[in-house]
This record gives sequence, structure tokens and C-alpha cells, in this order.
Amino acid sequence: MNGTAVLHSIIDGVLTGSVYALMATGLTLIFGVMNIINVAQGIFVILGAYLSYALSVHLGIDLFVGLLITIPTLFVVGIVVERLFLTRIKGPERVVMSILVTYAVSLVIEGILNLVFSTNYVELHAWYVNRSVKFLGIYLGYIYLLGFAMAVVLLAALYVMLYRTRFGTSVRASLADQTSAALVGINVRRVSTICFGIGIAVTAAGGMIYGATNAFNASSSYDLISRLLVIIVLGGMGSLGGALVAGIMMVTIEDLVGVVWGPVWSSLSFFLILVVVLSLRPQGLFGKRSVRVA
Amino acid sequence: MTSSTPFLRFEGIVAGYGGGDVLKGVDFAVQEHGVTCIVGPNGSGKSTLLKTVSGLLHPRLGQILFKGTPLVGKTPREILKLGIVQVPQQHSLFREMSVEENVVLGAFLVRDRAEVSRRLASVREMFPIVATRAKDKAGSLSGGQQRLVEFARCLMLEPELVVLDEPSMGLDPKTLRTMFDTVKMMNEMGRTVLLVEQNARQALKLSHHGVVLENGQVRLTGTGREVLDNPEIGTLYLGGTFHATPPATNATPMKETD
Repeated sequence: MNGTAVLHSIIDGVLTGSVYALMATGLTLIFGVMNIINVAQGIFVILGAYLSYALSVHLGIDLFVGLLITIPTLFVVGIVVERLFLTRIKGPERVVMSILVTYAVSLVIEGILNLVFSTNYVELHAWYVNRSVKFLGIYLGYIYLLGFAMAVVLLAALYVMLYRTRFGTSVRASLADQTSAALVGINVRRVSTICFGIGIAVTAAGGMIYGATNAFNASSSYDLISRLLVIIVLGGMGSLGGALVAGIMMVTIEDLVGVVWGPVWSSLSFFLILVVVLSLRPQGLFGKRSVRVA
Repeated sequence: MTSSTPFLRFEGIVAGYGGGDVLKGVDFAVQEHGVTCIVGPNGSGKSTLLKTVSGLLHPRLGQILFKGTPLVGKTPREILKLGIVQVPQQHSLFREMSVEENVVLGAFLVRDRAEVSRRLASVREMFPIVATRAKDKAGSLSGGQQRLVEFARCLMLEPELVVLDEPSMGLDPKTLRTMFDTVKMMNEMGRTVLLVEQNARQALKLSHHGVVLENGQVRLTGTGREVLDNPEIGTLYLGGTFHATPPATNATPMKETD
């Protein structure tokens, strides 16, 4: 272990963590507004990666340019899934039922992806995927830097939407209290549907970076969803800022532990941090003390 | 609205939450420009009734007519557009938003920004706290202050009917007076007020009309003073007979509805 390796792992962690933060923000937005735990978020990330793969391999479209197609596509997929399956879940068991329904959705999408793309691992390729730049004596992959820039831009866009637009105000009000939001004339149903679409749309961007930095198949979604759930629970369910901080923090610590104590400890540390933090703060880092249910 | 059309009328309202009916056929009318207070024991269905007005709960049977327009089946948003605003029992401000943001949200359905600014200026005059604590988070206000900001917010829509669900809940005696004065002020501004109150004595004193709800049905209706002076109601719901005025020898008999 040396200083450069530690610095490298920290920078890598921040760059990769920002992409996880983006994907987790979508997940926590969905929970905060809708009281739905979308365990299909992992498979939507993989769907986004496969869409980028298909556009890149079959049509020769650049990975980042392809986002102009994959992000709107997944937004529409999200709205269709919400309208078809999630609007029917009502009542006090909504949270639990949402896990079962989105898990079923996840299994169906996984099956379709296995049929279409087979179970063989694939990777996304572009001229910048395997190139790097030297900075402070360490090599940083273009794809990680581009992924970080993309995550920052999309998170900033999300922030502007939430805090500078009328729709954003209605989202924040719905996040805080759906009944009160309805009583000032906010169409909470419509806000929920659009938020689900946005929450899924960001997985297209996350999926592209994931696919460019990892070999993947449909089953890769299981590792992803466990990480994303850890991030939003640690940040505080429904807290957008919490997802951002926890996403960057967890991946950075995981990378750092991998360098300092060895790779075998890195995954363990990811979940160990969750256990320790939750034993001290059951509501997560930025969560409200009581989680709203139904 | 013709003179024969009541301002707000409940016709045979039956409603509940899935575990049986809380309201079992509620009939009464609310007069325009008045303050109507609904009193009754816990569990009599007072708050449930208000939820049916604002669209938070759809009745199983019956109809609610607002100036002749049916409300049942409409969403809270559609009902707001008709000019009916509800301030719910629990504090409903968005705690993480500023006081001003909360108040402006009251005019969420108003697209004209100049109009929203005009209304905000008007509300600031009525409720100085909206100006003095404009940038503070709503969650940092006391319970009484939050209630006043909720009133300010509901006036941003310039509603015809203001529905208040136990506005005195959790307020200290001094704030309670301010709150009731504010209800009176809203009425004097021309707003019709329909409120549910546990603090029945004070509420009935300022109300033009009183309605006693019991087991999901209307037990009595009359003027506020008639309900206050009714010995049976006083014993049952107001902690003993209470005479707001000396018993009148020629008082109009209270209308018994069942």
C-alpha cells in the first residue's frame, strides 16, 4: 500500500460513487413520493446497459449519444410499468406489496433479457472506454471521468427541476406529505407517475456507465439492487441528499478498504457500514425518524 | 346560484374507511356567508364528514352539492378549483419549505404570477408572520404560528368555502383566542366557514349555525346559541349545561332532525 494507491482508490470511489448516487437517487425518489420499494431498479439498470449495447453494436451509435434514446425510452417504460402494475397497489400493505410486484416485474424483464441477449457476459465498447489520463501520478479512466461528469450534470438537472420549477415544488410537497399536497391542488397521482418515470430514466445513464466498466448479464442486477438498497437505506429512505452522500461515501470506502486491507474485505465493508450506521441511527444518515407507511 | 339552491348540502352521506360506515346518512345544509360548526363526541364522524367535502374520502352513498354542483367523485384538485379549501386537523405545512413557499403553494392552481404576488401581499397584511418569518422553515414555527400560516395559505386561493378540521387542536389558550379571531375575520371577509371543533363552547359562540353529529348521523341543528343553550347537548358534549345568554322565553325551537 502506498499514498498513490490510496489517493487513486479515493478518486475512483468518488467517480464511480457518483454514478451509484445517480441510480440510488432514482430509487429513493420513487420511495419518497410513492412509498414503493422498487426492487426492479437493478434490472432497469441492466436494461439500460443492454439498450446502450444494442444501439452501439447494431447501429454504431456512441454510448453517450445513445443516452438521448435510452433515457426517454426507460422513462416511457417506467410510466408504462407504473400505470400497469403499481397504480393497483393500495392500502396499508402498499410497501410490502410493492416489493413483491416490482420483484415480479424484475423477473419478467430478466427472462426477456436472457432470451434476447443470452446469459453470456457482454461489455460496452467505445474508443474512450479503455483510455486513461495521468493526473497527480495516477491513471484515471476516461469512462470514469465522463461518467462522473454525466452524473454531476444529471444530478444538477434533477436539483434544478426539484428546486426551481413548479413541478419540482409539487414533487417536494408530495415527498413531504401526500395528503397535504393533494389539499393544495397537487395532482399526486400524476406526480407519482412522472417520478417513477424519472427514477427509471436515470438508470439508463447509470446502466451505460456500469456496462462500460463491468462485464454484465441480466443476473448482474442482483448485486446492483443490493448495493442500491444499501445506499438509500444508509442515506435515509426518501432522502435525495442522503442517496447522494451515501452513494459516494459507500463506494469510496469500499474502494479504500480494498486497497488498504485487500479486495476480500471491500464487499464486506459495504454491508458492515450499513449495520453499524443503522444500529446508531435507525433512520439512516439523513432520514426522518419515522418512515411514513401508506 | 338561485336563492333556493343551498350553498352546501349533504344528502344522505354514507362513508367509512373499509371497516364499516362511520357516516350513516348525514343530511344538512350550510348557509352562505355564515360560520357553521359541527360538534359531537369522538368517533361521531366529524372529521370523516369534512374529508368527504374536500375529496379525500369518497362517500359510499349520498351526494354533496356545492351551489348545485355535485362534489362526490371529484378529486381534491377539482374541488379546490370550485373554491373549497380545507385545513386538515394535523399540521399540514411542508416543514422543510420556507413559510413563504408554503403560503405560495396555497395558490398552486393559480398560474398568473402577478396575481399570486398580489394575493401574497394581501395575505401578508392579514398575517404579519408570513412577512416576518418568510424565509424561515415552516417546521421551526410553534404550533399556533403554523396554524396561522395554514390559514394564510388557504386564503391564497380566495376560496368561497373554508373547511377547518379542529383548528384549535394543540393550541394554548392565548393562541386559541387569536385562532378564533382569525376564523371570525375570514368570515367577515365574506368566506363561508365550515368547521369541526372539540372546543365546542368557543366555536359555537362565534358560529351562526351549529350541527350536532352523533354516531354518524345529525342529531340536532340550530343556531350556534341554540345548540349551546340546549341542556341535553350541554350535558352530553359540552361538559354540563352552558348558557351563553339568559334562557329566552320566545326562543325558536331547535330543529330536531331525527
